[in-house]
Amino acid sequence: MSLKNTLAPFSAWMQAFSKPFTVPDEPGVRPGAPRYRGWHINDRETCIGCGTCAEICQNVAIDMVPVDEPTKGDSGLRPKVDYGRCCWCALCVDVCPSGSLAMSNEYVWVDHDGDAFRYTPGVDEKPWDGAELGWRKDEGFDIVDHERVPMGHLDPEERIHTWAEVVVGYTEEEARREAARCVECGLCVAACPAHMHIPDYIAAIRDGDDVRALNVIYDNNSMPEMCGKVCTRRCESVCSIGVNGDPLAIRWLKRYVTERFDDLKSVLDVDVERVGEGRKIAVIGGGPSGITVAYYLAIRGFEVTIHEALPQLGGATFFGIPKYRFPMPSLEKQIKLLEDAGVKIVTNHRVEGDELRRMLEENDAVFIGTGLMKPYRLGAEGEDLPGVVYALDLLRDKNIGREVEVGERVVVVGGGNVAIDAARVSRRLGAEVTIAYRRRIVDMPADDEEIEDAEAEGVEIIPQAIPLRVERTDDGRLDFVWGPAEMVPSDRGRPRPKLIEGVEHHMVVDRVIVAIGQSADHSWMPPDIAEKVADAKGWITVDHNGMTGHRGIFAGGDLVNDTADAISAIADGLRAVEGIQRFLGILPEREETEPEIPVITVR
Amino acid sequence: MTTTETLRRRVQLWFGPQHPGITGNMSVQAWLEGDTLTQGITHVGYLHRAFEKLMERRKFIQSFPIVCRICVPEPDTNEYLLAAALEELSGLDREVPEKALWIRTLVLEMSRLAAMLQVLGGHVGSMGLGVVPNWTYTLRDYVLDRFEELTGARVYHMYTVFGGVRRDLPEGFAERMETEVLAKIEAKLPVIDNAIFDSSVFRKRAIGVGVVPEEWADEMGISGPVVRAMGIPRDTRKDFPYLKYPELDFEVVTTTGSDIYARAWIRRQEIAQSVDLIRQILRRMPTEGPYCAKLPNMLTWTIPPGQTYVRAEASRGEMGYYVVTDGSDKMRRVHVRGPSYVHGVSLLERLIPGTNIADLSPLMVSLQTCPPEIER
Amino acid sequence: MQFDSIEEILDFAIGKEMEAHDMYMDIAGKVKRPGLEKTFLELAQMELGHKARLEQVKAGDLSGFAAGEVQNLKISDHLVDVKPHPNMDYQEALLFAMKAEQRAHDLYVDLARATSDPGLRELFKGLAKEELKHKLFFETEYDDVILEGN
Ligand SMILES: Cc1cc2nc3c(=O)[nH]c(=O)nc-3n(C[C@H](O)[C@H](O)[C@H](O)COP(=O)(O)OP(=O)(O)OC[C@H]3O[C@@H](n4cnc5c(N)ncnc54)[C@H](O)[C@@H]3O)c2cc1C
Ligand code: SF4
Ligand code: SF4
Repeated sequence: MSLKNTLAPFSAWMQAFSKPFTVPDEPGVRPGAPRYRGWHINDRETCIGCGTCAEICQNVAIDMVPVDEPTKGDSGLRPKVDYGRCCWCALCVDVCPSGSLAMSNEYVWVDHDGDAFRYTPGVDEKPWDGAELGWRKDEGFDIVDHERVPMGHLDPEERIHTWAEVVVGYTEEEARREAARCVECGLCVAACPAHMHIPDYIAAIRDGDDVRALNVIYDNNSMPEMCGKVCTRRCESVCSIGVNGDPLAIRWLKRYVTERFDDLKSVLDVDVERVGEGRKIAVIGGGPSGITVAYYLAIRGFEVTIHEALPQLGGATFFGIPKYRFPMPSLEKQIKLLEDAGVKIVTNHRVEGDELRRMLEENDAVFIGTGLMKPYRLGAEGEDLPGVVYALDLLRDKNIGREVEVGERVVVVGGGNVAIDAARVSRRLGAEVTIAYRRRIVDMPADDEEIEDAEAEGVEIIPQAIPLRVERTDDGRLDFVWGPAEMVPSDRGRPRPKLIEGVEHHMVVDRVIVAIGQSADHSWMPPDIAEKVADAKGWITVDHNGMTGHRGIFAGGDLVNDTADAISAIADGLRAVEGIQRFLGILPEREETEPEIPVITVR
Repeated sequence: MTTTETLRRRVQLWFGPQHPGITGNMSVQAWLEGDTLTQGITHVGYLHRAFEKLMERRKFIQSFPIVCRICVPEPDTNEYLLAAALEELSGLDREVPEKALWIRTLVLEMSRLAAMLQVLGGHVGSMGLGVVPNWTYTLRDYVLDRFEELTGARVYHMYTVFGGVRRDLPEGFAERMETEVLAKIEAKLPVIDNAIFDSSVFRKRAIGVGVVPEEWADEMGISGPVVRAMGIPRDTRKDFPYLKYPELDFEVVTTTGSDIYARAWIRRQEIAQSVDLIRQILRRMPTEGPYCAKLPNMLTWTIPPGQTYVRAEASRGEMGYYVVTDGSDKMRRVHVRGPSYVHGVSLLERLIPGTNIADLSPLMVSLQTCPPEIER
Repeated sequence: MQFDSIEEILDFAIGKEMEAHDMYMDIAGKVKRPGLEKTFLELAQMELGHKARLEQVKAGDLSGFAAGEVQNLKISDHLVDVKPHPNMDYQEALLFAMKAEQRAHDLYVDLARATSDPGLRELFKGLAKEELKHKLFFETEYDDVILEGN
């Protein structure tokens, strides 16, 4: 061993004179790096309470605790973190669909109360609330799939020459892939008027178990193929992954499963007690609400007869919605299921005069789902000229197979789905079509996709156009006169259009199609009963059982709810299904805490 | 022989489990005659958290925060291997972006560097030279500063994930790495050399101590600095190239002697090698492009049935993951093959007889055991 | 029409409100549509409210008058007037009411224009504004209910 080696260790002493490595004892705490994963912060307002953070946390460190009242699209729950369990992986942050959850770069916190280390970020105030630095969601890293599997549509050019369905539908592979995007938060269930078990059937589709999916779907929707094609999909509007991406294609997935099976009865595993044996129910109106009541009561053993004025059941989904959106075979399949369930169907029978009174005597309960059959009038001069027609009449005539003709040039007045349907039907009948709408495009109640589809098919939309009058031209056509509108603020609701005076535009057309709205028509009821159930606007008010002001008369659908879509009609039907059973003493009275629209299951 | 007789002849000693040396919690039940060890039985289990079983019951993404815990000083090899295995089985490997491959290589070298700095200090620390570990641990801390900046955490990085990495390289990272870490390490290395390799204390206690016979190399599956100290150029980075290693310029470091000294020397050389590799990587790091592939929904991700074994060179030697998938959203089986089982259990038990009690700690450190990797 | 005093004008206006009240009462007794009777009774009640407000003005309390600008949505302007009939529906009832308020408004605007006394003109303008306010009430309802989809 050399002398050098012997002395070498002592060279360490030299280091005593170099700058110390150790950090001098500074007051305060060394700040964490800009993306340090420290204590959680949450933006209480942006958080939607979806619980996906809790779902992904492998340490089960997150409990969802009630903080606010639930609203559509927000469960009112907020994540509470247990730092006795948390491993600071920040997966909760990276998965958070709303982007509300983050971590501050603070990491030191002393407290002698162990329970303090469970808190609800954004709710329980902490010094690091609003911290600028820390772990944030980053655009380049996404652990949920925000891109929807695109849906095929017929080419617009091709579409207007056919009545074939516009939407192509998912293939099996596409459906499974789309279903796999679901994070199963269940916010959609609360938003769906009928509270369909959405994450359950999506999971079944994802797992390749279409039979299970179909059965889950039929738990509380007996017209799902219709919903799979035309539903207003309130569910999708609250889908948590839709907050920063495309919502799950819930409607298209439902469509995919329901289309897979031709003979529903053989696939559906209905297992409910036949508690209604020996009881009779009359349903007036064969729309979605009436069909729902009929089906779910019939499988429970009730003897149900459904009375429909038109030659076919389906209500507005039969006579209103055009076939390129909801083809006849799809509807027939669902009616067949109704027949299989033992429902007696009487079509071409408009209930009138004293019939309702008689039905009340002969049945244990009566359900009214007669919808909104009377169009609102334009109210302007020239409305009675030949060539001014109502969209509901036009669509019905087309749907029941009558010859319809609209000429070469059409103007549709209105901005709802009915207006869009009338416009697209007119396109298919060969006309050039313009929609005149009083408000802005953003105000249109019509579905955005519908508006897009219409525009793709060449329908022109003139917003802020107020119809002034209709005149007859010398060559027998119609001069549609309209004036431009400005939007003025309103202290009650959305801005309102106001005519800008002095400017008139003219449009020479063959048809003016009025599609501004529709109201209920109760002229078929005995007046004393009508007086008891309906108000001036035609609305029928019902209680939590779906029962009207007249004992034994239940109602639902467009004439009851203010959302006027098929799924709300179905939800009303479900409420009546339970309400009727309660009314007849088959089910106990509803508890305060139970939801108004029941969550029911037939398996 | 009666019990009393046995007791008279042999003293039994429990070594550990409180960090015998700096290896982590394990213990050696040793028998002594005089101050010479006659037999040693390793006892592990103090860190057992059933990682593999936990993972078989968790979604893939939920296993991701678990694996870093399988080696505290060097978590990133685990993160990379889990990702590599699942990417291969799912086909996601074809989509890992270029930048992610470079960042992953960087992270693996950084973690090797941090671990080797720690162990090099441990080599002499276990002999009572407490000053040197103070330096190397501080240098390691500088690496951890960069880890903190890059990954959001100092120790459990949870950064390398399926499809790439979790965040982009921060602005100015390369410069800070150079001035705050690499330059400081290089400045200190001569001082460390002097205090370790030139020190007669270290030389006396390391040269010729803990010699591993060359025949054991294949028989036992020895890897890492332990095998390279026998003169065998075995290195996963060269033998089974992965990530960007084939594009980097480096030689496998070997020496002879196969003793504690040789192993420390390998580590010292590989620290310099890592410094150089990190510079190469940062120079070639793409500035543009994504750092992670587009991922499917991690909450429902399923992987077709399959199995694979993937490996990488940790500072301790070859680390491997054997993963079986069955088409579900969880791993059917995951087996973690860490070098510590070979070195810290089998090899150690074979080397103990005849070792002086004072050399047990240095010996264990030179084999660089990571107990959670044994009892995963 | 010739008025000599503010008193006289207010009496005239009060008389007009009473006329409107009686008219709505009359229609209420005739309509068949369920609930519509109640609507017209409410309208009649509202006219009584207007009358009470004018009586307040007559007693010297001007605070009852509408302050500031009153919005005119002009919805009724280009809609066709309807005659009350027993089978009237809600849309027609609203149309009818909007038109009636419009007529009352127009009357006061004319009177304001015809008078040379600035004090009287102000009073007529105030009354016109009152009627406009009533019209706005119905137009808002029409815009919300009937024209919801347009
Ligand atoms: C053109 C159009 C497009 C639409 N598009 C969509 C859409 O895309 N998505 C969506 O969710 N909703 C849509 N809707 C609305 C949806 O169709 C309705 O909300 C739903 O059908 C209402 O159901 P309901 O049960 O209230 O009865 P309705 O569907 O309104 O049916 C009432 C039925 O009662 C019958 N009836 C009435 N009086 C009597 C009587 N006295 N005796 C016997 N039968 C009688 C009628 O003939 C009718 O068949 C659309 C509606 C229309 C008109
Ligand atoms: S994932 Fe995000 S939005 Fe959902 S509950 Fe957690 S913090 Fe709120
Ligand atoms: S950081 Fe990780 S362990 Fe902590 S609450 Fe979030 S997901 Fe759970």
